[in-house]
Amino acid sequence: MTKLAKRMTALLPLVAIGVALLFWEGVARWSEIPLFILPPPSAIGERLARSIADGSLQRHTLVTLSEVLAGLALGAVSASLLGYGLAKSSTLEHALSPYIVASQSIPIVAIAPLLVIWFGPGRLSKVLISALIVFFPVLINTIVGVRTVPTELYDVMRSLRATKAQIFRKLEVPAATPVLLGGLKIGATLSVIGAVVGEFVGSDQGLGFLINVGNGLYDTPLVFVAVITLVAMALVLYGLVAMLERKVLAWRIVEVG
Amino acid sequence: MKSRWLALLLFGLVACQASESSSGIRLPMGFIPNIQFAPFYVALERGYFSEEGIELEFDYSFETDGVKLVGAGELPFSLVSGEQVLLARAQELPVVYVMAWWQDYPIAVAAPVGSGIETPQDLAGIQIGIPGTFGASYVGLRALLYSAGLTEEDITLDSIGFNQVESLISGRQQAVVVYVNNEPLQLNASGSPVNVIRVADYVDLASNGLLASESILAEDPDMVRGMIRATLRGIRDTIEDPEAAFEISKQYIEGLDQLSPADQDLQRAVLAESIKFWKTDRPGYSDPQAWENMQTVLLEMGLLAKPMDLAAAFTNEFLP
Repeated sequence: MTKLAKRMTALLPLVAIGVALLFWEGVARWSEIPLFILPPPSAIGERLARSIADGSLQRHTLVTLSEVLAGLALGAVSASLLGYGLAKSSTLEHALSPYIVASQSIPIVAIAPLLVIWFGPGRLSKVLISALIVFFPVLINTIVGVRTVPTELYDVMRSLRATKAQIFRKLEVPAATPVLLGGLKIGATLSVIGAVVGEFVGSDQGLGFLINVGNGLYDTPLVFVAVITLVAMALVLYGLVAMLERKVLAWRIVEVG
Repeated sequence: MKSRWLALLLFGLVACQASESSSGIRLPMGFIPNIQFAPFYVALERGYFSEEGIELEFDYSFETDGVKLVGAGELPFSLVSGEQVLLARAQELPVVYVMAWWQDYPIAVAAPVGSGIETPQDLAGIQIGIPGTFGASYVGLRALLYSAGLTEEDITLDSIGFNQVESLISGRQQAVVVYVNNEPLQLNASGSPVNVIRVADYVDLASNGLLASESILAEDPDMVRGMIRATLRGIRDTIEDPEAAFEISKQYIEGLDQLSPADQDLQRAVLAESIKFWKTDRPGYSDPQAWENMQTVLLEMGLLAKPMDLAAAFTNEFLP
C-alpha cells in the first residue's frame, strides 16, 4: 500500500462521520423536527460553543474525568490483584467465583442509590460505582491472562532455578499483560458509564448531572453536548490504553514486509 | 407535519403504542404508581373516563418524557408540575396547562424537631439535601430561599437522590427538601419528627395539573373538556370518600394490599395529606398570579432567559 493510499484509508472514518453529520443536518432541517426532539448538528455545535465559553462544560468534564480515572484505577488495581490470586489458587476461585459472577447480575442502577446513602453524595460514591463496573472485565482478563502462560515456560523458569518473584516478574507479568490490557480497554470505556450512573442518582456536578439538567430544561442540544463529551472521553481513555499497549508490548510486534 | 413520522420513529415503541392504541389515551403520570394518583384510579374504575369516550391507560414514565411526548403531538395529555410548563414553552414545546389539580406547591424543607430550623430565614448556613438541582424540588427550594431574601450561596446544597429520609435520620444532612405529603409522614412514622417549612406558606406557585398539546386543544376541544370533567369527578369522589378511593387504588398499585397494617395506614395518611392540596372552591382553576410568581422564580434562578407570554401557557377555558 502506498503512503497516499494509507493516508486516504486513515481519513475514511472522518469522511464517514462528515457524511453522517451532513445527512443528519439535512434530515433535521428538511423535516422541520423540533429542536427538543432532534437538534441538528449545527444547533449542537452552537450549544457546545456556549458551554465552553461559559466554562460549564470544562468544569463538569473535569469532575467526571476525575471520578472516572479514580474509579478506573481502583477497579483495575483491585481486580488485577484478586484476579491473580484466583488464577493461582483454585481453592480461592471455587470459594469466591460464584459470588463474583453473581455480583455481575446486580443492576448497577439498582445499587447506586444505596452507595450514595452509604458513602455520601460526594465523589466517593461515583468513584466506587465506576470501580465496580470496571472490576469484572479486568478480573476475568487477569485470570485468563495468567492461566494462558504455557506450562513449558514455567518448566523452563524452574529449570533455571527462578524464584517465585522472578517467575512473576519475568514470565507471568509479560505473558498476561496483553490479555490484561484487553480487559483494561473494556474497563476504560465502562468506567465512564459507571461515573455517569452515579451522577444520575445524586449529584450537582459532572456530565451526568449536565444530562439531567438538559433533560429537565428540555434543552436537548445540551444533552447531546454532554453525551458527545462522554463519548470523546471514553474514546480518549481507550486510545490511551491502546497507546500503552503498543508501548508495553513493542517487543512482541514483528515487522512484516 | 413533515416531522411527525420522524418524531414517531424517534420516540420508538412507547410513542408507537401511544398512537396505535385504538381510541385509548396513555397518560404519563410522571411518577411510579402511587396513592397520590387515587383520583385517576377512582375515575377510571367508576367509568368516568369511559362516559366521556376516553379509554385511559396509565404511563409511569418520567415527567419530562411525558411533556416531550405531548409537545411532539404524540400524546394529548400528561400530568406535570407548574414549572415544567414554562420551561417546556421556553424551548418552544407547544403545550398548555389546562387544569390545576394541586392548589398549592407541595414542596417543603424538613428539619428535625429541636434543630431550630423553622422558617426560611433559619436555612442560612444550613446543609440541605435535595434529590437533584432540577425539577420541582429545586424550584421549590429556590422559591423558599427567594422569599427569605437568601440565595443558594447562603446554604450548602447536596444532591442526594431520593434518599431524603435516610439522609436526615443518619444525620448526614441538617435539612432535606421533601414533598409535604410524603417524606415528613415517613419521618414522623419512623420516630424522627420534623419541622416542615412549606413553600406554599410563603409563595403561591402554579402546581401539579393537566397538560395538553396545542394541537389537541384546536382539533378536539370536546375531548379536552371530557378529560377534565372525568378527572375532576375523580378528585371530588376521592375528597368525599378517601377510604373508598384507597380501596380502589389497591387494584392499581401493586403491593399496596400486601403492606402491613401500619404501612397501609401510612399510605392512608399520604392520601389524606394530599387531599388537603386538592380542596378548592374552584376545581381546576389556574390562578394567574401563581403563574406570575412561578415565572419570577424561574427568571431569578436563570432557568428562564426572558419573560414569556403567560396567557398562552395556561387556560381555564376548558373547565366545566
